[in-house]
Amino acid sequence: MMDPMRSLLGRVLLEEITPVVMVLSTPLAEEACRKNGLNFVEMLLPFSVFNKIDVPVRTASDQPYRLQMFKLRLVYASDIRQQDYKVAENHLKQLVSDAANAALSDLQSELPQLETILSETELNFSPSWIQTFNKELRKSVSFSEHEAFDHPVACLFVVSSNDAQPINRFVDLFNTDQLPSLLNDGVMDPKILKQYLLLHENHDGTMDRATGILAEMKSTFGSIDCRLLCINSSDGGDGELKDNPWLNVKAHLSASHEIGSFLNIDDLIEIKEFMQELSSKHIIPYMEQKIRFLNQQVSATRKGFRNQIKNLWWRKGKEDAPETTSGQMYTFSSMESQIRVLGDYAFILRDYELALSNYRLLSTDYKLDKAWKRYAGVQEMMGLAYFMLDQSRKDSETCMETAFNTYLKLVPSAQRNATRCGLWWAEILKARGQYKEAAGIYFRISSEEPPLHAAVMLEQASYSYLFSRPTMLRKYGFHLILAGNRYYVSDQRPHALRTYRNALLVYGGIPWNFILDHVHYNIGRWYAFVGVFDVSVKHMLEILACSHQSATTQDLFLGNFFETVENMGKIFEVNKLQLPVVNMSSIQVIYEDHRTYASFADLNVNENLWKSLEEEMVPLASTIKSNWLESQSRLSLKKYDDSHVCVVGEAIKLDIEFRNPLQIPISVFSLSLICDICEKSKETKIDGGTSSFGFNDIEELKEAPSCRSRIGDVSNLVLSEFDLVLGGGEAKRIQLDATPKIEGVLKVLGVRWKLSELVVGYHYFEPNTKMKHKKGKRVARNSSGGILNFIVIKGLPKLEGCIHNLPGTTFAGDFRLLRMELRNQSEYSVKNMRMAISHPRFLSPGNLEDFNMDFPCYLEKQKFSKSMEAPANAQKFKNLLFYFPNDVTIEGGATFYWPLWFHASFSGKISLYLSVYYEIESCSSDMIYRTLRMHYDLEVLPSLDLSIHIAPCPSKLQEFLMRMDIMNRTSTESFSMQQLSCVGDELGISRLPANETISPLKVLHAGQALSCFFKLKDCSKSFEYETGLAFHGKDEKLDAQGNGKVLIDVSRSPFLEFHQQERYHQGKTAEGGISNIDFILISELHDSSSTGLHPSILSFHACHCSITNEIPLWWLMEGPRVMSHDFSVSFCEIDLELTICNCLNAEVSIRIITNDFMPETKLSDYLISDSNTNQGGWHNVSLANDIKEISNVQGVQSEKLSSSSSQSISPFIWCAASSTSVKMQPSSTAKVPLRICIFSPGTFDLSSYELHWNVQSSSPSDKGRPGDDAMRSSSGMSQGHPFYLTVMQSH
Amino acid sequence: MIVCVAVVGHQNNPLYLQSFTEADDALKLHHIVHCSLDVIEERVNNPKKSGPTLNETFLGLLYPTENYKVYGYLTNSKVKFILVTTDLDVRDADVRNFFRWFHSAYVDAVSNPFHLPGKKITSKTFASRISTLVKSFGSTAPA
Repeated sequence: MMDPMRSLLGRVLLEEITPVVMVLSTPLAEEACRKNGLNFVEMLLPFSVFNKIDVPVRTASDQPYRLQMFKLRLVYASDIRQQDYKVAENHLKQLVSDAANAALSDLQSELPQLETILSETELNFSPSWIQTFNKELRKSVSFSEHEAFDHPVACLFVVSSNDAQPINRFVDLFNTDQLPSLLNDGVMDPKILKQYLLLHENHDGTMDRATGILAEMKSTFGSIDCRLLCINSSDGGDGELKDNPWLNVKAHLSASHEIGSFLNIDDLIEIKEFMQELSSKHIIPYMEQKIRFLNQQVSATRKGFRNQIKNLWWRKGKEDAPETTSGQMYTFSSMESQIRVLGDYAFILRDYELALSNYRLLSTDYKLDKAWKRYAGVQEMMGLAYFMLDQSRKDSETCMETAFNTYLKLVPSAQRNATRCGLWWAEILKARGQYKEAAGIYFRISSEEPPLHAAVMLEQASYSYLFSRPTMLRKYGFHLILAGNRYYVSDQRPHALRTYRNALLVYGGIPWNFILDHVHYNIGRWYAFVGVFDVSVKHMLEILACSHQSATTQDLFLGNFFETVENMGKIFEVNKLQLPVVNMSSIQVIYEDHRTYASFADLNVNENLWKSLEEEMVPLASTIKSNWLESQSRLSLKKYDDSHVCVVGEAIKLDIEFRNPLQIPISVFSLSLICDICEKSKETKIDGGTSSFGFNDIEELKEAPSCRSRIGDVSNLVLSEFDLVLGGGEAKRIQLDATPKIEGVLKVLGVRWKLSELVVGYHYFEPNTKMKHKKGKRVARNSSGGILNFIVIKGLPKLEGCIHNLPGTTFAGDFRLLRMELRNQSEYSVKNMRMAISHPRFLSPGNLEDFNMDFPCYLEKQKFSKSMEAPANAQKFKNLLFYFPNDVTIEGGATFYWPLWFHASFSGKISLYLSVYYEIESCSSDMIYRTLRMHYDLEVLPSLDLSIHIAPCPSKLQEFLMRMDIMNRTSTESFSMQQLSCVGDELGISRLPANETISPLKVLHAGQALSCFFKLKDCSKSFEYETGLAFHGKDEKLDAQGNGKVLIDVSRSPFLEFHQQERYHQGKTAEGGISNIDFILISELHDSSSTGLHPSILSFHACHCSITNEIPLWWLMEGPRVMSHDFSVSFCEIDLELTICNCLNAEVSIRIITNDFMPETKLSDYLISDSNTNQGGWHNVSLANDIKEISNVQGVQSEKLSSSSSQSISPFIWCAASSTSVKMQPSSTAKVPLRICIFSPGTFDLSSYELHWNVQSSSPSDKGRPGDDAMRSSSGMSQGHPFYLTVMQSH
Repeated sequence: MIVCVAVVGHQNNPLYLQSFTEADDALKLHHIVHCSLDVIEERVNNPKKSGPTLNETFLGLLYPTENYKVYGYLTNSKVKFILVTTDLDVRDADVRNFFRWFHSAYVDAVSNPFHLPGKKITSKTFASRISTLVKSFGSTAPA
């Protein structure tokens, strides 16, 4: 047998299954006790428990054993009945409510850690009132008729010595009408042990009367059963009891009346002795006796084979009896009841073996009788007996299960019994460490009980899960939630709150949003109910951003949140409020220091791009520092290095994205920045104290914005406020402004907004958030982390600007005049203006006069056009830096216009960047200059493709044939050609054939291509003698109709600049060598009404057109064509001249070799040694001998001649050197004189010469461009062109 | 009738939970599924000695609540499938089959290159496959 004290259940059983002593007392006796603030039962209560009674007990067996712990239950006779259901219910409810108050105070405390909970034992962790609740719940089914352990064992009559006729009073007390119904109904044996007690108050007078009465009692009732108890020996007043025994037993009694104040130590000893005697001398022996008696009876009637058969047969006969008669079937005298009493008494006296055997006997009987409730009761006791014996776990469990299930079948009458049985069962399981199973039992109980009880049961189930091994935390949480729910239903919100809070320990941080939301929502709601609004709101905040919930739920949550905040009654500020969500990575800070922007779009341009653009325009930062001549104010900029600079009166813009996580729309009011501004005087020591300054900020960031005292002066800072409505799931970008009004330091700390009148959300920008900062370079070193500090400096003028009528989309070649507008809104004027343009190919600044002209008419070719001087060599082709004239200043409030020429030089998407630099007139500020940055994107569509091919004219050295291929690349537009100009003075252009009108040239439709031919003529000075040819100019009008349009002078200002640019850029990509031949084609959009685009003029530049040829040179033989000579006199000598042009960009060495015989075919090999074939080209037999005579100047030649002498001799011979070498400079012309001797008249082809050329690739510029030379061979040989000379015999 | 199926990730995070009831008992089902994780954990940590538990993915009946039966299935990647049904007499083989189809649907869903591992399954195809599976539960083979 196990030690029952070891387990909780054992202790509980020892306490609860104890003999009941029925107390019957007179009013006077009660009154005597009440002086101490107690009734009689309460007075005896502390002394009814004996921890070491040490009484020998002998029950049925002969073996005596000793009882140690013993307890008596003293109950008034009026209480010996089954409690009224309602009363019991209320009593339990009260118990829970009392505990609720304790729970409430507990709610303020912090939640413990999960680990600490797990290390606790169950007894410590679960609230103590739960055990009390269980006890009271079990009590509510005590004094039932089917069980005997609650039946009074003894009856104690208490009469005061002050009562008149005490003996009669004793007799009266045992009147049947006062006795409990159990006794009267015959369920209980009315013949029970009677004890008579005379209560005497010592201060009432002498003991004489009392002893007299006692003597009388003894004679009447027998001397053993009568006793005298003296109380109230003390005369009241101050409590002299050192350790008041009632204090721990009846702690909940009202302390207003001092307990036991009339009792002194003697009284206590006397009471104690009385109780000891009562239990050891009367009750226990009485029970022993009864057990032995009953056991004998049972053995006689039921034990043994014969009895069993008889019993069985007898029961069979009753089988048809209805089941419901169980109530009246068994009286106290019936055998079954007697066995039950025997079993219970044995149980009370801890003879569990005896009890068990009797219970077993009984259970079969009841089962046969179908007396289910009794059967269940017996099974329950069997289970407990098995447990106390600690023999068979299985048996105790099956017994409990049978009992429980049987009770459950009898619901509702036995429902509470089922609960009690379940509680025992669960305790049995827990005592054996089977927590999980115990939890299941609790759960089963809970489903049968009203919500409040169910809640307590579920809570116990949850604790069981918590302490089961392995811990089942999720079930713990779930059962806590279930319990909380039941608590809530039964109006016990503090308890509900407590359980949910505990559940949060498990659920905190899990990704199961629905569960978490439910828990937070209810905790929030209930906190609000108990009036703890701040915590309530805290929990409500957790669920605000519940994007996963349905719209109605979101609405509900939001509504509840607002309601709670309203109830709180003050403005509630939430850090990082999730409604709306601030996208911290989306933050862009836009501010203007010396860099200002024309429009918002300009900000998205990479800072480096601007920097490179402004590189030359803006004074270097280092020069400010190094030069001691600079004014002090500029030096002061240095100390602001860590901060950003902004200007008084100019807004710092913060671009930030807000997102509504909900499906329902939310409205946000008064969205604004949180800023701090300190006046300059306070911040004079800023350079020394930036770090400490930063630390302060970190501290401050923990406070709500309203706590920040420094936002005092509204006039110092103007913040923009936004109201916006975010639809479900919508995200919006908002630009918030802060405009400082005084000089000093401005700190942008965060944003704030109002969700309602009372809910204010704020979000500080945290140092670790990566800010996408428009002014990137200095952010990272900010001493105060990511907090945005700005030095606010004195007001400065700021230019605003834009470019008018710049098209968004245009065709390549578009040429127009734009107007740049610059406005100065401030009162100061600005000077020293400069402008940098990123694409000088597209934009070129004009002159102020350009506005006065009528474009494009003013470009018409003037009769006396003065030749424009070439732009300065310093002109940059990458970025154009333009200096406005020195006298240009923009007064405060003035608007300034400047012309810009636009030329769409190539197609594609182009971003144009312009930066205008200006200095401030009154230079008293920290900043001496500012820049205005403008940025335009435009799309240039391809329009016309122009390609030009020039070939040398074979007959004339100064003339070239030019083919122009134009292709219209648009799909809808038609262009009309206006004019083709050749740039420069060197070349003239004329149409081929000269006077023919080219009608298709007029309009080039979409997708069409066109080729036309022109003649180019070199009209430079060196060929002046050639001007005899009709030549009109360098511009050719292509519009044959000539409808009044005039030629445009391409050598004037805007064309000139653009052409320079084009030349430069095309030169970079040109394949051939640089050549000076450039063309400009001017066309018009034919039918501009079809689209919205209205380019009036398109100009196309084709630069670096070179004369294409297979060989790098061309030459021309010049000389008389027809001559008459008298051959009879002498042979004829004719002078010829060979003009050779080198069109290569390299030095070429040329050797001219004349041959006196003609090779018939072109030689496959260019080598000289192979050139002499045996076939002569010219078959006119001539004087071979003369060749020998004449051409013996050079040995080489003579050798050659000798070898060829045998062959056919040409009718003429070349005089002078047969081989001439010329070295030619790049792009130069050389003349080589030649002479020929003719011996007879005739027509001769003088093509028998060869040009051997060799490119001298020694110059470094050539090496850099190997591609050019690769196109041509580095050396080669060309045959002479045919040149026919007719010589006639003159007579 | 199947009232709820769920996929729970290896960190016990819900990946997919679909109820097939008319009533608004999503929260309850969430709780039931969440609780059943305890049982799964227990099963996994204390495998029964008997039977070939190695590589056995089907966990069987996890626990009977008052109205529901909860079945579990554990993949080798520690993803749990949970089935909550109101049928009181369910054949084990049916459940096994169901889970097998469920598993293959899941594998297909997570094989989508656009699926983020460890994130909720949002595939509509998966949802429709599961709902047809649920509808055909009890019959021999799913469509």
